[in-house]
Amino acid sequence: MKKERTLTEPFKIKIVEPLRITTESYRQQQLVQAGYNPFLLHSEDVFIDLLTDSGTGAMSDHQWAGMLIGDESYAGSKSFFHLQRIVQELSGMPFVLPTHQGRAAERILYSIIGGKGKVFISNTHFDTTRANIEYTGAIAIDIVYPQAKDPEIDLPFKGNIDLDQLLELIEEYRPQNIAAIIMTITNNSVGGQPVSMSNIKAVRNICNQYSIMLVIDGCRIAENAYFIKHREIEYQDKSYYEIAKEILGLADAFIMSAKKDGMVNIGGLLTVKNEELAILCKNLLIISEGFTTYGGLSGRDMEAIAIGLTEVFDPDYLHYRIKSIAYLGEHLKAKGIPVVWPIGGHAVYVDAKKLYPHIPINEFPGQALVCNLYRKGGIRCVEVGSVMFGTYDEQMNLIPAQNELVRLAIPRRVYTQSHIDYVLDIFDEILEDKEQSKGFKIVYEPPVLRHFTALFDHIQ
Amino acid sequence: MKKIQEKRSWAEPYKMKMVELLKMTNTSQRMKAIKEAGFNTFLLKSEDVYIDLLTDSGTNSMSDRQWGAFMTGDEAYAGSKSFYKFEHAIQSYYGYKYIIPTHQGRAAENILSKILIKKGDIIPGNMYFTTTRLHQELAGGIFSDIIIDEAHDPYNEFLFKGNVDLNKLDALVKKFGAHKIPYISLATNVNLAGGQPISMQNIKELREYTSHYNIRIIHDMTRVAENAYFIQQREAGYHHKKIKEIVKEICSYTDGATMSAKKDALVNIGGFLATNDWDVFEEARNLVVVYEGLHTYGGLAGRDMEAIAIGIKESLDDNHQKARIGQVEYLGHKMLEYNIPIVKPIGGHGIFVDAKAFLPHLKQDEFPAQTLTAEMYIDSGVRTMERGIVSAGRNSNGDHYYPKLELVRFTIPRRVYTQAHMDVIAESAARVYAKRHKIRGLTMVYEPKYLRFFQAKFERIKPPL
Repeated sequence: MKKERTLTEPFKIKIVEPLRITTESYRQQQLVQAGYNPFLLHSEDVFIDLLTDSGTGAMSDHQWAGMLIGDESYAGSKSFFHLQRIVQELSGMPFVLPTHQGRAAERILYSIIGGKGKVFISNTHFDTTRANIEYTGAIAIDIVYPQAKDPEIDLPFKGNIDLDQLLELIEEYRPQNIAAIIMTITNNSVGGQPVSMSNIKAVRNICNQYSIMLVIDGCRIAENAYFIKHREIEYQDKSYYEIAKEILGLADAFIMSAKKDGMVNIGGLLTVKNEELAILCKNLLIISEGFTTYGGLSGRDMEAIAIGLTEVFDPDYLHYRIKSIAYLGEHLKAKGIPVVWPIGGHAVYVDAKKLYPHIPINEFPGQALVCNLYRKGGIRCVEVGSVMFGTYDEQMNLIPAQNELVRLAIPRRVYTQSHIDYVLDIFDEILEDKEQSKGFKIVYEPPVLRHFTALFDHIQ
Repeated sequence: MKKIQEKRSWAEPYKMKMVELLKMTNTSQRMKAIKEAGFNTFLLKSEDVYIDLLTDSGTNSMSDRQWGAFMTGDEAYAGSKSFYKFEHAIQSYYGYKYIIPTHQGRAAENILSKILIKKGDIIPGNMYFTTTRLHQELAGGIFSDIIIDEAHDPYNEFLFKGNVDLNKLDALVKKFGAHKIPYISLATNVNLAGGQPISMQNIKELREYTSHYNIRIIHDMTRVAENAYFIQQREAGYHHKKIKEIVKEICSYTDGATMSAKKDALVNIGGFLATNDWDVFEEARNLVVVYEGLHTYGGLAGRDMEAIAIGIKESLDDNHQKARIGQVEYLGHKMLEYNIPIVKPIGGHGIFVDAKAFLPHLKQDEFPAQTLTAEMYIDSGVRTMERGIVSAGRNSNGDHYYPKLELVRFTIPRRVYTQAHMDVIAESAARVYAKRHKIRGLTMVYEPKYLRFFQAKFERIKPPL
């Protein structure tokens, strides 16, 4: 590999959080107690927590200062007006509703435009998005290009929606039954892969043609803007902010979990263009979240989001962010670890089926890797395979997921390069005794969203 | 000498460590602001408000210990240390077994209602609260008020106006059968009755009755510590008990709880659902992921759970409650000295002014309570909340509901305002009272379809020529 210059981080550390160093035998004990499910580990027993990049970022000193000037008034809070101004400028939409996190924004919008007989089409619905849509009685259909499902094909915009299939589906279900087309950017479920501007524009044209609503699920919109600037030639001279603004200018509604590119630990947003829709959304907001000028957030959290949304578009930050994920991914690949390619915006996905070919799918190779990473290195990550997405047929045989992946999600501005180098070292150990790795069986599982609370054991 | 001691008795057990600067405005600035807000205090910008008595919910100031814990909040998505502290605090101070965090109280109500209520069920409760009743109805239930009649009379000085009338409950059980009643929604320190407490005796009797019929009691506990203070002060056998002990005893007679931590627990955001029933817990754990977040954060930042854990402890301190309620009572007594008509006894979290008696020359459809909130704001920048005909909305025929009580709520945030602020409020109320005959009512010029009190707009009625 060509020696690259060390990545420059456009910040220094102002507050640290001490970590506990544990031994392998201690971690083995914790794994047994957690039923080999890292979701059930206590975070103090984790050394490097790559479970998610959602809500786990470090805020800046500016954001912390904003936390102190947060206005906690129930109605008409200054912090709300601050947030509203920032989001109106970014989205070009007049109606801004704060929510406690992204899934609440989804629930509000989709329960209004969804319902029985309605169809949502997306490049890929995220798991909570799908749950919210199906809860209303509507159907959620994912259509990425077939190549995107292959972890090895190197394409610049594997997050794109399949436009041919989109047109077919609209004809099949009739335009009036399509509640919305949702573009998830970046596309988390296929590996944090970006969506191109030309793809979004094409979807906008289709939406115009058939009078269908376009929703941008944009919790990682800044990361997506980075890829557009560097991979779509006509955008190379635009700023990340301008690109994000252009994306949102194409949409009728914008949903955001601010816990990702909002650079905060809690919070979400819903913005809409249409006033009548805004009124309906505000009614539901008051019922389930909070009054329209706080939406279930404290004033200081709104301040922090407003500031986070300006910090995230800083070119030096985004360069550092995307390059640091690539650093981990490229070095893993160089070691011979099979990773989803190209490397996405917020995480590296390891192909566990390929790493552990001797573990059958119904013994969950991804879970085996997740447990090995914790035991050997105190690293916590998540299986994105048949534990998370598998279902059963009538004979209770496993219907496996598309891929058996393990996601190493990198929190924003939290871990240093030496932490990442440590993760790479642990993967050397993973490679050394990969043949000895054993699979798992599920010994307890709840009826829905089992990956959060299921318990496992080794097969004797 | 005695007088001085009385006055000193509620001195705050804290001092100020950080302050928030306020903008001082003059009458013409305030006149302009209230006109722009359509004479609706909800639509005022908070920066134009001097003393904000709109609500005591989420407007508290936190302690340095809470801010300290804020910095140690663990933001891990799963298994956060802060969650275990939060869980431990609730288990040890309130005594409930299984805990689910939520972003605020109404979210816990939503989840609980979905789990326990079947279509057509009856939910008896000691007076409704807006969001609580709404979630019961959305889940298919029907709310039925079983509070004692005294609660509806603003001048009845009964000391426990939050009590349940067991005869009303018994009539419901006889009429519908206990199987149609999944639980009783029991609020401590009943908000809409004016922050009025329920007695321990009444809770015990209710427990005895419900055990017989196997009906759950779900505790709406957002102001339980304030209720406990009143029990300590007013109920025989509790004078020497600590608030901490009384709170735990109250909880022990109930099967689960929903809590908005934004009141008693001295934070700005957060809530939880608690239950002693494993099955309810398991179902709640699945539902909370859909609505709120994973069960070890439930839509809250780690630091918020830290702050709640400490806030609960601080709220159960006898000296804290003495100062808290002492301050509310100080304001109430001051208003009584000025002959301002207020709901009695003085409640735990605010003063409720009787706008009908304050402005007897206004007809109810000239919105006396709304008028009074606007006049208070114009006089001194004090923001209060209407709880009368505007809040009550319209019936299915399109007529106003004309509620019996036409009140203005002066809600006191915890640990935020000083005695001087209380004096300003009372003096301002007195000044408005002195010129009350000259005050003209309002007409509604914009009325939204739902929950009109939040966004309705008004104009002053023109003086006769």
